[in-house]
Amino acid sequence: MIRVNGNAHAWRAGMTVADLLEALEDTHHYAVVRINDRHISRPNFDKAVIPDESDVFLIPMVAGG
Amino acid sequence: MPNLQMTTLRTFTYDRPVMDKGYANQTLSIDISDAQISITPVTDKMKAVFVGGKGFDLWLLWHAVTGTTQWNDPENAVCIASGPMGGTPIYPGSGKSIVTTISPLTGSVIDSNVGGYFGPYLKFSGFDALQIKGKTSKDVVIFIDGIEEKIQIFETFGLPDASYELSAILTDYFAQGKPRNISVVSTGPGAKNTRMGCLNFTWYDLKRKRARYKQAGRGGIGSVFADKGIKAVVARWETVRVDTNNPADMDALKTVGRKHSKEIIKLDPQQNQMATIGTTHLVTIMNDFDLLPVNNFQYGQHPQAVNLGQEVFRPIFDAGYDGCWMGCTVACSHGVKDFIPLTGPLKGTRVFVDGPEYETIAGCGSNLGIFDPHAVIEMNFYCDTYGLDTISVGTSLAFAMECFEMGLINEKDTGGMNLFFGNRLSALEIVHQMARGEGFGQVVGQGVRRMKQIFANAYGADPKMLQDIGMEAKGLEFSEYMTKESLAQQGGYGLALKGPQHDEAWLIFLDMVHNFMPSFEQKAEALHWFPMFRTWFGLCGLCKLPWNDIIPEDNKQMPEPAKVMKHVQWYAEFFSAVTGKQTTADGIIRMSEAVYNFQRIFNLKMGFGKREHDNLPYRAMGPVKPVEYESRRERYDKQLVEQHQVDIIGKSTEEKIALLRQFREQLYEKLKDAVYKRRGWTADGIPTIETVKRLGIDFPDVLELLEAHGQDR
Repeated sequence: MIRVNGNAHAWRAGMTVADLLEALEDTHHYAVVRINDRHISRPNFDKAVIPDESDVFLIPMVAGG
Repeated sequence: MPNLQMTTLRTFTYDRPVMDKGYANQTLSIDISDAQISITPVTDKMKAVFVGGKGFDLWLLWHAVTGTTQWNDPENAVCIASGPMGGTPIYPGSGKSIVTTISPLTGSVIDSNVGGYFGPYLKFSGFDALQIKGKTSKDVVIFIDGIEEKIQIFETFGLPDASYELSAILTDYFAQGKPRNISVVSTGPGAKNTRMGCLNFTWYDLKRKRARYKQAGRGGIGSVFADKGIKAVVARWETVRVDTNNPADMDALKTVGRKHSKEIIKLDPQQNQMATIGTTHLVTIMNDFDLLPVNNFQYGQHPQAVNLGQEVFRPIFDAGYDGCWMGCTVACSHGVKDFIPLTGPLKGTRVFVDGPEYETIAGCGSNLGIFDPHAVIEMNFYCDTYGLDTISVGTSLAFAMECFEMGLINEKDTGGMNLFFGNRLSALEIVHQMARGEGFGQVVGQGVRRMKQIFANAYGADPKMLQDIGMEAKGLEFSEYMTKESLAQQGGYGLALKGPQHDEAWLIFLDMVHNFMPSFEQKAEALHWFPMFRTWFGLCGLCKLPWNDIIPEDNKQMPEPAKVMKHVQWYAEFFSAVTGKQTTADGIIRMSEAVYNFQRIFNLKMGFGKREHDNLPYRAMGPVKPVEYESRRERYDKQLVEQHQVDIIGKSTEEKIALLRQFREQLYEKLKDAVYKRRGWTADGIPTIETVKRLGIDFPDVLELLEAHGQDR
């Protein structure tokens, strides 16, 4: 089990950020996701594996600078 | 400090006005040539047109200088202001000051915003803005005591040059046992010996019991300050409360302030964790999107960038509350405790370092090919205490390093120093030389624009190559983002009034990552709205981070999510609650437009502010050298074929670079046309008479200036 923005979500071994975003009913075009304290950017979504028991945060990053 | 002596040159007493809906309704002028002090009322017209903050600064500076004033002329003024909402402890990010002067780097108006307590303390002491003119051969300290209602100018003896030490001593000296009542503005020896001096503004850290520092970094304001002979300006004020600004509607202010504060407390831990790691999260994100400057903006990525990321800095930062203004819930001003420098006058001692933030990490790290976090922290520390802007230092040094790598300059020119990318000791030695006013550091301290001239004229380097890779525009060094693949951000830098600093328009993510603005018209609209909205923070005494670095949960369902309109509406409510003048999201843009256009016209007054001055070095638009093209060949080849219908078969890399350059430079010129039209400017980039009349800035001298540039009334 993982938590996504505080909500429980089923986990499976080998699940990547890209897998998670596909499973979620959320069409927002996220550029950055945080797994615990680690930021993952979109170019790495399909490579970043989510460990079990992770806290995942979908970051609505529109700005900075 | 046993040897410190302060001799009073002037004492001036005054009656502090009652705060009136965020305004003191008067400004303070000090001429240090003869220690004259005067107070001038703020008119209703001044408030209506210029709002406050940068608007007031610009109005004072406009009247202080002529079109021929140079940065080191006595009539040049350093102007500091907060803004009507500045000093509100209940609303996050409400402690900013903004500083303007004629820049030693650009020769025109520069503005730089900064945290710390000074701006609010100045205002509560009775002054919406401070203007300092004149020059003196003495070392002077200006003390603005809002509690005892007096201003003093001292000649000082025995104060150190280093800004951190100087500010700490003056905090103790004036505090009368209450150091939180003091804010010091100072600079250091690097500012005296270069054109890229910064100002350090203090805030007092109660937990750590020390003065902490934020920097007004850009454009060499610290160099003007040092050239005038000012050691420091100190403000003293007592406890700040929500009602200190005497807001028009206290209940509305509390309601909107609490809403925004609570949202940040809830969402920042779920989003970028700025209260824990500041802006360091941007390093690896920029790297992942090929936007982190590496080796003088040649590349946007490096395998070692993770060594400079938030995962490294998180355990290095000293945990605790780090708000540069009271009650700010973003609280992003982190620091490093007990850092031990390996070089320089404080080698082997324990120091507290304020920072680093993203810009310093990228500028003094990746862009120099340095991926050692401790070297970056040491650069950060010495730049600050020497009074040097880490962005200009980083970008200037990166340029010198690339010139060295290319053989455009050599060890004979650098005083025997090896300046290969990644050379940490040389980078630090250059910073120490800047402070001492010695050696090649003195050359680097002149900035990229002047280095280009020196390298071409004295060292025989190819001026065309220097122009292409020297990352400055309008004379100001680029801040630390790659713009090659974002036309909108090229505009964000090239069309910025003061030069390429991201605080006007940071559109990379919106343009390149989210593709929110595919058409020219959409880019032009963004290059109107975003600079105007961001300008408004500098008019009001606010930090922009709470606006769009912590995003409401429902933002994606809102119209125009890129603008974070829920927060824009809250800012309109905040302004209305403090000033009593009801405004809207559109009203905010109108306020900024007047000041923005006035600043553009100010550039014109100083001999700039036209289309030709919005040009960029080609490195900002695309690959200059074959090695850059080849590193992203697939991307560039695809663009030539698909976007520009070029048959690339049989073409050399040099030929493809030339073709790509032609297309990209044309696009940038088209972007200029679209933005000028949207802003109500002529094709030469000058605000039209119609525009200045619409905005209420049709002052007689403005109209005369526009007429002199070919416009009819």
